[in-house]
Amino acid sequence: MNKNKHLLLWSSLGVLALLVAAAVEENFLKTWRRIQASASTAQGPIDVHLRQIVVPDLKVTDRCVSCHVGMAPGMADLQGGPVLAAHKPMVHDPNEFGCTVCHGGQGLATEQADAHGEVRFWPEPMIPTRYASAGCGACHSHLRVTDLGQMREGRNLVERYDCLACHRIDGRGGTLRPGGAGGMEGPDLSHVGITGLDPDWYQEHLAQYEKAETGPWKHSFGPVDDKDRQAMEGFLKSRVGASELIEAKALFHSLGCRGCHKIQGVGGDDGPDLTRFGERDPHLLDFSHVPGEHTFVHWIAEHFRWPAKVVAGSKMPDLGLTEPQIDKLTLYMLSLRQSHFPEAYWPKDRILVERFREREFATDGATLFGTFCAACHGPAGEGRRFPESSPFPSVANPDFLAVASDDFLAETIRRGRPGRRMPAWNEAEGGLRDGEIAEVVAHLRRMAGVDKPEVVSPRPRWVQAGVDPGRRLYAAHCAGCHGAQGDGVEAPALNNPILLSTATDTYLLETIRRGRRGTAMPGFAAPSSPAYPALSPTDIESIVAFIRTWEDSSK
Amino acid sequence: MSSTTSKSALGEFLGNLVRAPRAIYRAAFRTGAPTTDRSRSDFVFGNVFLHLHPVRTHRWSLRWTTTLGLGIAATAAFLLTLVTGVLLMFYYKPFPEAAYESIKDIHFVVPTGRFIRNIHRWAANVMVVAVLAHMVRVFFTASYRAPREFNWLIGMGLLVVTLGLSFTGYLLPWDQLAYWATTIGANIAQSPRELTDSLGITEQFDPGGLQKQLLLGSDTVGAESLIRFYLLHVMILPLALAALMAVHFWRIRKDGGLNRPEDADARLGPAPDATYPVFTEAPKKTYHLAAIVQGRTPAVRRGPENTVPSMPHLFYAELGVLMVTVLICVGLSLLANAPLKELANPSVPENPAKAPWYFLGLQELVSFSAFMGGVGIPAIVVVGLGLIPFLDREGAGSGDWFGGPGGARLVVWSAIVGLAAVLAVEAFAIQFGWIRQWFPHAPQLLITLVNPGTVLTAMYAAYSIWLVKWHNSTRAGALGLFTCFLCGFVVLTIIGTHFRGPNWEFYWSPAQWPTH
Repeated sequence: MNKNKHLLLWSSLGVLALLVAAAVEENFLKTWRRIQASASTAQGPIDVHLRQIVVPDLKVTDRCVSCHVGMAPGMADLQGGPVLAAHKPMVHDPNEFGCTVCHGGQGLATEQADAHGEVRFWPEPMIPTRYASAGCGACHSHLRVTDLGQMREGRNLVERYDCLACHRIDGRGGTLRPGGAGGMEGPDLSHVGITGLDPDWYQEHLAQYEKAETGPWKHSFGPVDDKDRQAMEGFLKSRVGASELIEAKALFHSLGCRGCHKIQGVGGDDGPDLTRFGERDPHLLDFSHVPGEHTFVHWIAEHFRWPAKVVAGSKMPDLGLTEPQIDKLTLYMLSLRQSHFPEAYWPKDRILVERFREREFATDGATLFGTFCAACHGPAGEGRRFPESSPFPSVANPDFLAVASDDFLAETIRRGRPGRRMPAWNEAEGGLRDGEIAEVVAHLRRMAGVDKPEVVSPRPRWVQAGVDPGRRLYAAHCAGCHGAQGDGVEAPALNNPILLSTATDTYLLETIRRGRRGTAMPGFAAPSSPAYPALSPTDIESIVAFIRTWEDSSK
Repeated sequence: MSSTTSKSALGEFLGNLVRAPRAIYRAAFRTGAPTTDRSRSDFVFGNVFLHLHPVRTHRWSLRWTTTLGLGIAATAAFLLTLVTGVLLMFYYKPFPEAAYESIKDIHFVVPTGRFIRNIHRWAANVMVVAVLAHMVRVFFTASYRAPREFNWLIGMGLLVVTLGLSFTGYLLPWDQLAYWATTIGANIAQSPRELTDSLGITEQFDPGGLQKQLLLGSDTVGAESLIRFYLLHVMILPLALAALMAVHFWRIRKDGGLNRPEDADARLGPAPDATYPVFTEAPKKTYHLAAIVQGRTPAVRRGPENTVPSMPHLFYAELGVLMVTVLICVGLSLLANAPLKELANPSVPENPAKAPWYFLGLQELVSFSAFMGGVGIPAIVVVGLGLIPFLDREGAGSGDWFGGPGGARLVVWSAIVGLAAVLAVEAFAIQFGWIRQWFPHAPQLLITLVNPGTVLTAMYAAYSIWLVKWHNSTRAGALGLFTCFLCGFVVLTIIGTHFRGPNWEFYWSPAQWPTH
């Protein structure tokens, strides 16, 4: 019977030992305790206790500072290893927002793998340090970002006009002087997009320049013409302390991504909504065709390289991006997130976008074209063709713009081509506002160098010719590309009700007559290729009359 | 006392106050310290938690080899899951996604949450193993025989509820593992549809679909299923289990204590002087209070010979087993974390999707025929197990391991036969396929009736009938059949767990699974 007593004694002692071991492990062997024990200030070692930043309004409890003690408020200047280093200078006070708000990861965890979210199946890993500025996207919307071309132009102008002689922007300029004297005469402009650009800066600079006899005011500044000044101001207004993210966003708005993808309700419907793409749970992604480590960044990058390989059945075309472009877009993808903070914590730009429906992107024609149109119609409107899809028309073709009226262009953008790839781009469909459409039309004309249509239709409908010759001619010369019923095989569909209702007879006739240079459409008045006959005006009129028959049947 | 008049009420009040702790103790434990035979008996009899025990326990029952402590181990594991489960309920939110996030919180954030969840998970597995092993023990010692037939049935109920508890708990983390294991489980519940389909009567009569609907609350695993499983897991099944346990324990007493051989007293020999009595003077008198109760108490018609007071002897043994079980569960919890995969995603099926391990033998049979694996063979096994005590009315070998005609030798031979049969049938099916591969248009009814599962069952049954004839004993047939089914269960479970990969194909190791 004694052995039962021993059984009880030893098993109880064993349980006690295991519980003590678990308690010791939980309370004494934690990495953060050892890190804090190794840290010291000039006054001596620091207290070892769980450190955290708690912001109840934001539901933030970030224990990151238990290891990264140097980033805790008032704990800079610690000795004892890189993990204790202070945060590099930043706009936001960690005491006010915590760490995970920007960096992601799990604030409550107290072990590295858990906190950084590197454990398997953890849905919100930290944003890799390399892409840290993506974290800004959780709260900020970065208003009126232009396309990359304008941004580069602005940057070049800022450098060419020698602004960096006195000013510092994104860590560059302001210090180098011939002879080493002076420097930083002007304020740092890296955040001027937030603090606001003095509207009179140019007049004030000019006055100083005129007063000055010598020194930087005389040598580094000079008159700037209006156009350049506007470009420079546009660039400066985009300086919000996250230059990489702004550049990435500018690239995104140059490649026409919103032509297929919606963000915040603005964009096309062909691809998935990207509003919160950066928050996707990487463990719900299919990594079977992604080489390398299974990280979200790898997935995004490989997807850009070869969309249909990573996501089976993806309609996204291979855009032929370069690696630096892929890197930038990856950063922008990671920045597509939305914090769920109370609105009192929202920055001005986010309120303007989400409550006052202001645009996140600039609303000049070039940026709008880069935002919505460039993916299909090409960055210069030259038209594009992706494998397994019919070609997209060259909308900046001079011959097209020479015959198309502004109304026709605007109406086409507004109503699209139902049944074809071109959706309606009016505001109700997540597209453009009327003023913006006018900007896009103007931009098309600028690209083509055609100010206004060369022919103006006296009346929308005036063709009276007989249909039968037209039917024959159409079957012989047009149906090959436009399809027997005008439903568009290789070339645009001609039986489209919106096309037929917006196009004037003159437009159709002139298009057939002149053709479109640079495309497969010959000018039938005097075709350059012997494959096509020259058609008389009567012939062309009868073709127009035949095309018009589809309008009746479609009614 | 005469001094009441001379003392002031205030003085009495103060005196009572000073004596209050002792008085409270006395009020709680009226019998005083259990130092004599009588007070020990009173201690057990007067305590609501202890009175399920007899006041005196036969020395045979306290031998380690009698029970291996398996019943108590199962109870201990249940108590562990109860305590840890209640703790988990403080943080758990039974709604899809929120459920997953709350488990994440428990795992990563709640102090010791991971530890508590690990203990819960391990204790649940230990409980399933202990309950199964307990059943095996009871069978091999022929302890199901009269007068314990009904307690055997209660025990089968406990096994079913235990599996139900474990299975319902499986869904609660709402991760991929949980979601697809539950989907498989629900499809097993739907398996009668295979029979009704092949008879063409599913439209009119669909018990399989009804079972699945009742289980899930919808056609697929969703929020309805989660709340259903949660309620079953935290309330209905634990209450059912507790009630059945109370009956089970009570019946042990009422059926004459633990089973022991007729000649147990002779085989035990005289008790060593040091063991009995303990902590007391030599007994002048025994107080076997239960003896006055009608029925089969340990002492009825046999007297208190060779029994020792349950307090403390039985309780040392029980607490010892309890602490060993805790030790095992806590140790495993420190070694291995309970699994948590990615969030459940109904559009991304796990391949292979596997049920919890104790159902993988069934899943293996289901892969041959859903109806036979999910309903037919389990029903045969359950009915067979339930009938055993009523068919085996023999007496020989009661209370001895592998007791009965044939004995351990028969069990070893049956194990060899059982293993050979299941391995042969599995190897054949894996190597050559089955009727559907040879004759693609064979009627489903044929496959339902003739598949590796039914063939194996028939082989075991034939072997068992032969044993009954050979030994001229039902017990011999039962021993052989039980051993065979045990071997089949173990082998099928291992095959289902380790050797089945994507699309339920056979693989020697998971390393050979194709990567998409």
